[in-house]
Amino acid sequence: MIAALAKRQALILGTLSMVGILGLWQAVVDLGFIDPFFVSRPSAVWNEFLAQWRRGNILIHVSETLRSFALALGLATTVGIGLGLLAGWFRDVESALDPFVWFKYSAPTIAFYPLFIAWLGYGTPTIVAIAFLFALTPIYANTLSGIKNVDRDLVRAARSFGARPYDIFFMVALPGSVPIIVAGLRLGVGRALTGVVVAELFGANAGLGYSIGYFAQLLQTTRMMVYIVIVIILGVILTQLLSFIEARTDAWRVSAAK
Amino acid sequence: MAQIEVRDLQITYDTPKTGERFTAVEGVTLSVEAGEFVTIVGASGCGKSTLLLAVAGLVPVSGGTIAIDGRTVTAPGPDRAVVFQEASLLPWRSVLGNVKFGLEMQRWTRDDRTERAMRFIRMVGLANFADYHPHQLSGGMRQRVNIARALAVDPKVLLMDEPFGALDAQTREVMGDELLTIWEREKKTALFVTHDIDEAIFLADRVVVMGRNPGHIKEIMRVDIPRPRHEDVLDSDLFNGYRKRLRAHLAEDMASMHLVEGAQA
Repeated sequence: MIAALAKRQALILGTLSMVGILGLWQAVVDLGFIDPFFVSRPSAVWNEFLAQWRRGNILIHVSETLRSFALALGLATTVGIGLGLLAGWFRDVESALDPFVWFKYSAPTIAFYPLFIAWLGYGTPTIVAIAFLFALTPIYANTLSGIKNVDRDLVRAARSFGARPYDIFFMVALPGSVPIIVAGLRLGVGRALTGVVVAELFGANAGLGYSIGYFAQLLQTTRMMVYIVIVIILGVILTQLLSFIEARTDAWRVSAAK
Repeated sequence: MAQIEVRDLQITYDTPKTGERFTAVEGVTLSVEAGEFVTIVGASGCGKSTLLLAVAGLVPVSGGTIAIDGRTVTAPGPDRAVVFQEASLLPWRSVLGNVKFGLEMQRWTRDDRTERAMRFIRMVGLANFADYHPHQLSGGMRQRVNIARALAVDPKVLLMDEPFGALDAQTREVMGDELLTIWEREKKTALFVTHDIDEAIFLADRVVVMGRNPGHIKEIMRVDIPRPRHEDVLDSDLFNGYRKRLRAHLAEDMASMHLVEGAQA
């Protein structure tokens, strides 16, 4: 009951501060404190959004970005979970992959961009490759740690019933790792979207990142803002979707910890 | 020939940090007859759980032998099942799923699994909770699931590693009572590790008392209380006599432990 109230209170406060910022934004521009050239204004962004929507531009760019996003996330999920399972189960695989993980953690992925341009050319393949690399690390790392940190008590209990390594992998380690793997996917979703938008900023013919960069170069702040807001909303929706799935797969673990 | 034959057992570990060899159990010889209920009691660090897990085939033997019905134990087998402390249930599986687990591992046919699992879930009184998950159950209920899971695979020997150790005193007594009822019906050979003296006497045909440094058997005490037993025997003179005898053993162990610690300090 109190938890429910606290949750509602958080929601109300969050909404209020959002509305407050929008109001402030509109006010400082309307009152002439800040030139709309730099920040546009909420009402103008909304009107421009409707105009872009009617012309069908938004659908084109959103679907272009989502396509690259889906390809990158699909690849990162397949490769990340695949390698993570192998590395979590076989110590030698983990050791062999370790240096690459450290490179990935330490070096900015975007530094590889020119290389990908050279290999794959401008456009979707390079964008997907960059976003793939963005998303890969958390998916791999979470899968690895889930399998590696399998509960020893459960393994022992399984062994006492004659479980073979194969059984322990599929009946104990894998189901026990689902929540942490899904948590890795949630992180991967946010990073894949970032990767797509960043790569689109650098070179693309369509997409949200492309639109932001395009209107920025034309100094059309309002149109640029429309696409920035769309990226934010898209990110929130995708991440929330994964949080929802995470909560469902995590039910047994959260409650057990109470 | 006895059902469980432990001969001159030695178990040593490499301590991971110092790399020293640590002797957990030494010179243990023990025979348990088919259908007998034997409890193992001792202070912490006396190797009682290690001994049990070695019989289960989960801890490698360094010296001596363990045999079940004349066959040397090298790994877990369907002739034995272990009841662990409550944390050993798979948290993502329902009660039914957990009880079926052992049957799946031992390749029972699909139809048999559900039918058999339900039979033992009913036996431990959880028929209405078959679809519940472990986190929705109390500690006592979780241990019933653990017992059902072990019995379902139809082992000859039931090995129990402080199964009621995490339960409160009252639940513990009820569970002990129910365990005896089930055991009398199922006729399994039982080896039961505990640090609770009353529990050890109440359940056992014989109590094995273990001491430390390294783990060894100090005494094997026969308990001549007729079955079926009920809680009122806890107040009898006979029971009190057994209780005093075991307490004396454990007090001795405690005293020697303090002496060692005093000498180190």
